Amino acid sequence: MASTVIGANITIEGEVIADEDVVVQGTIRGKLSAKDGVVVEAGAVVEADVSGGPMTFAGQVTGNVTSTDRVELQSGARVIGNVKAARITIADGAHFKGNVDMDV
Amino acid sequence: MASGGSVIGPETRIRGRITGSDDIDVRGHVEGELTIAGDVRVDSAATIAANVHGRRIVVRGAIKGDIAADEAITLEEGARVVGDLRAPRVAIAKGGLVRGYVETGHAGEGHRPKAAAQTKKAAPVHHAPAAKHHAPPKPAAKVTVSKAAPKPAASRGKAPPPVVPVLKKGTKAALTKKR
Repeated sequence: MASTVIGANITIEGEVIADEDVVVQGTIRGKLSAKDGVVVEAGAVVEADVSGGPMTFAGQVTGNVTSTDRVELQSGARVIGNVKAARITIADGAHFKGNVDMDV
Repeated sequence: MASGGSVIGPETRIRGRITGSDDIDVRGHVEGELTIAGDVRVDSAATIAANVHGRRIVVRGAIKGDIAADEAITLEEGARVVGDLRAPRVAIAKGGLVRGYVETGHAGEGHRPKAAAQTKKAAPVHHAPAAKHHAPPKPAAKVTVSKAAPKPAASRGKAPPPVVPVLKKGTKAALTKKR
């Protein structure tokens, strides 16, 4: 399914640029840029600006998020940063601090 | 996908440092550093410009950088490595290409042999002038021999003056006239 998987015990410090889906279970510090979907699973830590297509967050994301599609904050997600996306859903139980920009 | 395995997909580029204890499967591009306590698999489409450290490393793709493994390195067909290989066991299969220093036998950082080799190479260059200072009679002969070697080739070309003593006035002009 997903082409790139950053496993739970992996830490990347730097820049991740993917022309495919990215699933993060571990830690990324720096920058994450994907052409397709981004999934940040529960337990994952992303301290990076994130850009890409549809995104699902269940873990911790610190940084500005830009999506060409939808951003979904699931229950248990912790997101600190500005989110710019076409559509945003924030589930009950998700923590979020930041601006939302949905070009109205 | 099991939560233990990491995959750097073929359309993914990573610039920076990858560390951790999982196994990792690289199919894309990694630039920087890859240090993993688990196994590393480098797919045939992968390109890595980084030093790679892992437990067992299996290479089918391209790596520019040193590879060190705690257990074993296996270069399979299609592997292209420019860099040093260090591991208790190193296997290079038919079709695996390497340019670099290979050391088997013990894990970790075997930097000493490389340094020794470098000093050996450098040693003769340093000895010649050192000998000049210590024992005048014998080394003098040695020096002339060693200097004579490059002379013929050089003299054919530009005819430089031999070992130049203190120049008297006018000798420089005379030399330029000869040319």
